[in-house]
Parts: sequence; C-alpha cells; structure tokens
Amino acid sequence: MMGEVTPAVTVDGVDMVFNAGSENEVVALREIDVTVQRGEFVSLIGPSGCGKSTMLRVIGDLLQPTAGSVEVFGQAASSARQNRSYGMAFQSAGLFDWRKVAANIELPLEIGGWSKPDREARSREMLKLVRLEDFADHYPWQLSGGMQQRVAIARALSFQPDLLLMDEPFGALDEMTREYMQSELLRIYSELGTTVIFVTHSIPEAVYLSNRVVVLSPRPGRIHAVVDIDLGPPVESTDSAKADEIRERESFFEMTTQVRAALRSVEAGTPGRAGSPGVADG
Amino acid sequence: MGERMNGLIPPVVFGVAFLAVWELAVVGFGIQEFLLPKPSSILEAIGADWSVLSEAAIQTGIIAVSGLVIGVVIGALLALLVTRFGRIGEAATPLAVALNATPIVALAPIFNAWFGITSFRSNQAVVVAVVFFPVFINTARGLLEVHPDQLELMRSYAAGEWSILRRVKIPNALPFFLTSLRLAAPLSVIAAIVAEYFGGPQNRLGPVITQNASVARYDSAWAAIVMASILGLVLFWLAAALERLVPWTQTGGEG
Ligand SMILES: Nc1ncnc2c1ncn2[C@@H]1O[C@H](COP(=O)(O)OP(=O)(O)O)[C@@H](O)[C@H]1O
Ligand SMILES: [Mg+2]
Repeated sequence: MMGEVTPAVTVDGVDMVFNAGSENEVVALREIDVTVQRGEFVSLIGPSGCGKSTMLRVIGDLLQPTAGSVEVFGQAASSARQNRSYGMAFQSAGLFDWRKVAANIELPLEIGGWSKPDREARSREMLKLVRLEDFADHYPWQLSGGMQQRVAIARALSFQPDLLLMDEPFGALDEMTREYMQSELLRIYSELGTTVIFVTHSIPEAVYLSNRVVVLSPRPGRIHAVVDIDLGPPVESTDSAKADEIRERESFFEMTTQVRAALRSVEAGTPGRAGSPGVADG
Repeated sequence: MGERMNGLIPPVVFGVAFLAVWELAVVGFGIQEFLLPKPSSILEAIGADWSVLSEAAIQTGIIAVSGLVIGVVIGALLALLVTRFGRIGEAATPLAVALNATPIVALAPIFNAWFGITSFRSNQAVVVAVVFFPVFINTARGLLEVHPDQLELMRSYAAGEWSILRRVKIPNALPFFLTSLRLAAPLSVIAAIVAEYFGGPQNRLGPVITQNASVARYDSAWAAIVMASILGLVLFWLAAALERLVPWTQTGGEG
C-alpha cells in the first residue's frame, strides 16, 4: 500500500454504557479499538448479547459512545451520517410496506434529493444487481424472505454509500437461502468494492464472507481475538454456484476451526490467541 | 365481480330466511303486534311514512356524517400532535383514558344546555365526542408503532423529522386510521340517535322513534329503527370499502 491512506473506519477506545449510574446499568462495550481498511469485509462475531449490534450502531452514529471516538473515512461518525456514508441492513428486511420494491430502493435517493429520472435509472440498475428486475412493481408482502432481504441490500447500496453496515441480515433465512444470499453478497461486494462491517453469529458465514473476523467477548463486550481469513485464491466467476466451491476447500475448514476455537476460549474465559486485537495489517 | 356477487348470496339468503321465520313466528304464535310487528307490517309502515322517514334519515345522516368527519379530523390531528410532542402525550393520555371511560352519551343533556335544546349542534357534539376516541387511539398507535429498524434506517439516511413523519409514520398509521374509521362509522349513527332522544330538532330518526312509541304506533317506530340500521350499515360499508382500497396489505388492494 502506498503512503498513508485514511482507513475506512477507526474505532478508538470506545466504551458504551447503557443507563449509567442506575441499577440496570449495562456495560455493553469496553475499550474497543478497531481499524477497518478501505474495501475490507470485516465480520463481528460473538455470543448473543455481547454488544455486536451496539458496536454497529455506534459506528453508524445511531448511538453516541460514552467514551472514545469513531472516525469514518477521516470524519467524525456524525458528519459521515449527515453525508450519507452509511448503507444499513438489518435482520428484518425493514422494507416499507406501502412502497413497491422500486420505490423502496429509491427512498434513500429521494431523501438525498436525487431527480426522478436518476432515481428510476438507479433503482433499475440495483434491481438488476440483485436479480429482481421483474419485481419492481411488487409490494414487499408479495416477496419471499430472501427476496425481501435482497431488496433491502439493493436499497442499502442504491446511493453508493462508502460503508455498508449489516446486522445479521440473513439471520431469519433458511439455510439454503442463506448460503445463496451469502454468495450473492460476495458477488455484489466484489463488483462494487464497498467496505463492509457484518454482524453474525454464524461461524461459516463469517469465514465465507470476511477478510477478517473480530471475536467479541460478552459483558462487557471486548475484542477477544481477531482472525485473518485466507481461503486461497478467489473464484474467478460471477456465478454464485461456482463461488460455492470455496465452502469445500481445506482452508475453509481450517479457518472455521480457528474461529470456533477463539469463540470457545471466549466462553471458557481464557484470552484469545489469534492475531493482535484490532490492528489491520493493511 | 362474479366472485363478489357470489359473496353476497349467503347473507341475502340468511336475511330472507330470518325475515320469513320472524313473519311466521309472529303469525304462528299469535304475538301481539305492539310487542313485535311482522316484517310485512314494518314494510307497510315504511311505505306509509316514507316522506317523514326519508327526511328524518337524511337529517340524522347529516348529523352522523358531519359529526363523524369532525371527530375523525380532530382525533387524527390530535394523534399527530400528541405523538410528535411526547410531553403532551404523557400529560394528555390519562385525560384521554378518563374521557373514554365516560359514557359520552351521558353528556347529551349537558351539550343541550351548552348549544341549546333545539340546536342540531348538541347532537353533533355527542357524535364528535363518541367518534373522536377510537380514531385518536388507533391513529396514535399507528404513528408510534413503527418498526425501530425502520426509524434507524431513516436516521442513517440523515432524514429530518418532517421527512420521517411524512414518509414513514403517516403511511404506517394509515391502516390503523382506516380501521378506526370502520369502527367509528356505525358508532356515529348510534351516537346521533341516542343524542336525539335527549333533544335537538324533532324531524330526526330519534324523535320519530320516541314519538311513535309513545302513541303505540309500534310499526312506525320499527320502521324508523330499520331506517337507522340501514344508515349505520351504509356508513359501515363505505368505511370498509375505503379500508380495502389500501393496496399494500394482503387483504387490501383486490377488494
Ligand atoms: N438501548 C439499550 N438500553 C439498555 N441496554 C441495552 C440497549 N441496547 C442494548 N443493550 C444491552 O447491551 C448488551 C449488548 O446488546 P447487543 O449489542 O444488542 O448485543 P448483540 O447484538 O451482540 O446480541 C445487551 O446486554 C443488551 O441488553
Ligand atoms: Mg444483535
């Protein structure tokens, strides 16, 4: 890498305490330091309730940390949000029932003040990207869960945000659809070159998708280990079925074992072993 | 269209059978007409009193519909206001609950004192007060019960309060609002007639029922009751049709 490139995300000494001082105080995050480089795909994994969603919301400026700072492409998280740097997707697709598929994708563009022809052109483009061209005029309730989630991803990407924040977006899907969606996401990611932070509690999902997996420990949520993922050479195909070949590789099993070991040691309370916390090697 | 006609057949068959049993029961058991007139006698009375009844139904209908519109507008606007400014909501909610626990028609004599015993305004005020509450509560729920993820999405787009209200909260509340309208529409007729029992102009369904009953013209009283239920049904149907127009729900859109 040449010279100093501003990282995509710098989380520096972040604490997040809910209901501080009261009886039901929850320390959700403690001393979080993470750096995510541009174009990186980073997963956050950890037991339920360990603060993954909280961390994503802090990065997305939906929650103000009680200590520390978050910078996104060199600016404060709040400016990044005002500048519409974030695309977000949640476990619930969160489509707006009263808007047809195309209108859902156009919503962020509408808020961003795009002209109608530009919006329409972009939503067509996005529908093509997620392979739902024929469903522009359907209402959300007419789509399956997987299709709704693809619309949500199209919507999150429609305004070409610098950073995609995803909170267990495939958590509610059945296993088959889930693997298909993972391949689709990877295809879209490699076509667009966005930076992604992805919350999951599925080890294979994290390994399949990510360049790095950040393992969080519960209460207070701390970075327990960071596992660099290397699955060997990428599959040179835009065909999702062929991309699935990766799941059969020896390296895939090695990496899942490594992440599983890190998660096990979280539960056992021993320090993690893989990598040094939060430091990118970029 | 054909399916819709098919859907009408069971209630029509049931209705005709019900009237036939009623007619036969009155004749067969020798029930006195002042206790329960035959449907055919009621029909006759409707024909004989048609000019009085139709005028009364129209006048009562005007009170019910105008009161309904005013009550719905006030209920919806107040819901917007209260949900927009949380403080007001907290302060106003106990009051609204107390108001709901009050049988509003009990206020009819008070409204007569306020608006004048011969004024239609006092009847209209009862309708407004009765209709207001379900609309207010349901609309407020629809405005508040937006999925938290959707609000976070809007914030991530840096959308302003007004934009969130217009693009998310109001469309989210629309089905709730329309449901409350379907509840409120027949209520408006009930409220109008009960209010008319207590006062207001005399050429209305309420007074027509009480006057005929007091001189033992029960077939005519029943004729007015039938007109009242037709009025309630028509308003209910209109509101239900409006509800089915919403194209984005599984039940709506195709009706
Ligand atoms: N708004 C909030 N108020 C109080 N506690 C919260 C809030 N949001 C999350 N928490 C608590 O913070 C902890 C981490 O939650 P979360 O980030 O949702 O976990 P995860 O996404 O890893 O399952 C949990 O103990 C949760 O109960
Ligand atoms: Mg979570």
